[in-house]
Amino acid sequence: MIRHGSRRWLIAALVAAFAVSWFSTRFNQYYLGIAIDVGINIILAVSLNLINGHTGQFSLGHAGFMAVGGFTAAKLTLLYGESLYPFSLIVGGIMAALAGLLVGIPSLRCKGDYLAIVTLGFGEIIRVIFQNSQFFGAATGLTGIAKLTTFFWAWGIAAVTIYVIAGLVNSTYGRGFLCVHDDEVAASAMGINPLRYKVTAFVIGAFFAGIAGALYAHHKRVLQPDGFNFIKSIDIVVMVILGGMGRTAGVVVAAIILTLLPEVLRSFASYRMIIYSLLIIGLMMGRPQGLFVWPIFKKNAKN
Amino acid sequence: MTSPASSSSLLQMANCTIRFGGLTAVSELNLSIGQRELVGLIGPNGAGKTTVFNLITGVYQPTSGQINFEDKSTARLNPHQLTRRGIARTFQNIRLFASLSVFDNVRAATQLHRAHGIRDALWRGRSFHDSEKTVETEVMELLEVFQLGKHRDKLAVSLPYGDQRRLEIVRALATRPKLLLLDEPAAGMNPTEKVELMKLIQFIEEKYQISVLLVEHDMQVVMGICRRIIVLDYGVKIAEGNPEEVRKNPKVIEAYLGEEPV
Ligand SMILES: Nc1ncnc2c1ncn2[C@@H]1O[C@H](COP(=O)(O)OP(=O)(O)OP(=O)(O)O)[C@@H](O)[C@H]1O
Ligand SMILES: [Mg+2]
Repeated sequence: MIRHGSRRWLIAALVAAFAVSWFSTRFNQYYLGIAIDVGINIILAVSLNLINGHTGQFSLGHAGFMAVGGFTAAKLTLLYGESLYPFSLIVGGIMAALAGLLVGIPSLRCKGDYLAIVTLGFGEIIRVIFQNSQFFGAATGLTGIAKLTTFFWAWGIAAVTIYVIAGLVNSTYGRGFLCVHDDEVAASAMGINPLRYKVTAFVIGAFFAGIAGALYAHHKRVLQPDGFNFIKSIDIVVMVILGGMGRTAGVVVAAIILTLLPEVLRSFASYRMIIYSLLIIGLMMGRPQGLFVWPIFKKNAKN
Repeated sequence: MTSPASSSSLLQMANCTIRFGGLTAVSELNLSIGQRELVGLIGPNGAGKTTVFNLITGVYQPTSGQINFEDKSTARLNPHQLTRRGIARTFQNIRLFASLSVFDNVRAATQLHRAHGIRDALWRGRSFHDSEKTVETEVMELLEVFQLGKHRDKLAVSLPYGDQRRLEIVRALATRPKLLLLDEPAAGMNPTEKVELMKLIQFIEEKYQISVLLVEHDMQVVMGICRRIIVLDYGVKIAEGNPEEVRKNPKVIEAYLGEEPV
């Protein structure tokens, strides 16, 4: 997806996002809202893909990182004004990255199922902390957050996320993530420090999840801790699996489809989880490599 | 027995013992490898050969004893740190990176020497592209030397078995080691491939001027290229010397009784 001259690709994407955003007042606001949802979910899925897909860890804590970023950013603009919005995105990302570091270091000594449980527990702890924190509005959460997330911000940052993660993985440095995914023992015999790569994946993944949370807060205008329960984490994991673990393009497409699907099936909203489950089961049986992985993509598949 | 010259010694294991629960896998082992030496390590199944590799590369820490590489202790160093110091290895069961191409398998092993870091990988400025260009040239040179260049974009695990073994050796060489540990590289090869492998190992030793420690079951391979051979049995060194001395050693003959003729 990203090859040489990828910086040009990024600039083109940013300009396109800006242009669409410029005319956004003319669009149906309901559809515009969904488009922003899609952008945010792309950020979440692509960043989780670095952890679960490229690096082969199993994190179920992405909603937790998102919550850290969301509450931090929302509180910032609520306290100090809307002009801090761009800054609040960064701070939200940094706080989430710190949480990622915190979870990363001890939990990365566990593998597979154990790591999944540790990160799941982490996500739930974060949620419970926000639920009991008066400062963050306890169970009711935060309301009256300014609506500042435009199409430009959501899709512009989605483009940056894709650029950063695909570009990173597609370098000699970044091949280390894939080596750790494939075989940690062989990776360390090649001079690669698996622990370091795993923590780095967690920190970068959490950073973007935090920014996605900040965008989300200024899009929905209300934040409730309950919105960041483990089902939210699983939603993102499904996007990564459906997109084909470690396939950036596939994960982007999966994020788009899985954001639109519930809207299309709005009248069956309560069956959404059943549809998800059926999708995963169907996928695991029919296409274990992911929906969008075809033989012709094999050669460049890891971009 | 040949006494190893200590002045030009690259690796030294002194009285190394490792126990797994009640089992002593390696016992009081003294082993020394000099600069540019090709040493063979043989012994029946379960003798502890792979465990010796795991001790040298830091996968296991010895229960007791001391390991020095270039006169510096390797205690408490991780495998990746020891690779940085100049020890590379292959595995008894091939461990190539399954989702990566032939090119990327070797590229991953140049990690230690790349000039760019995470920031360059993101910014993608001139220095990044220069660094990547250097890496590519180096990897392709290595692949060409070992006739794997034409396979560069294939998945590593899709290669024929013999090529996979060769690729694993190339990948280890890409870390620019001073000591190369080969764990049964001839396993599963046919006689022609074995002859080629022997030439290859000698070629590596000459071209890259490094030391090689070779674990191998195939006596012809070991006797053919190693000037010094160490024999392990139940974790204990029972013999050491040149191929002729080892072949005649009664303890060796006994240890191998019922196995392959020595
Ligand atoms: N991690 C471990 N835990 C427990 N026992 C081990 C471990 N690693 C090796 N062993 C035991 O140590 C002994 C030596 O094993 P090792 O793999 O070093 O033998 P080897 O000489 O390489 O044999 P082979 O020729 O079959 O490869 C064996 O009895 C093995 O079961
Ligand atoms: Mg062995």
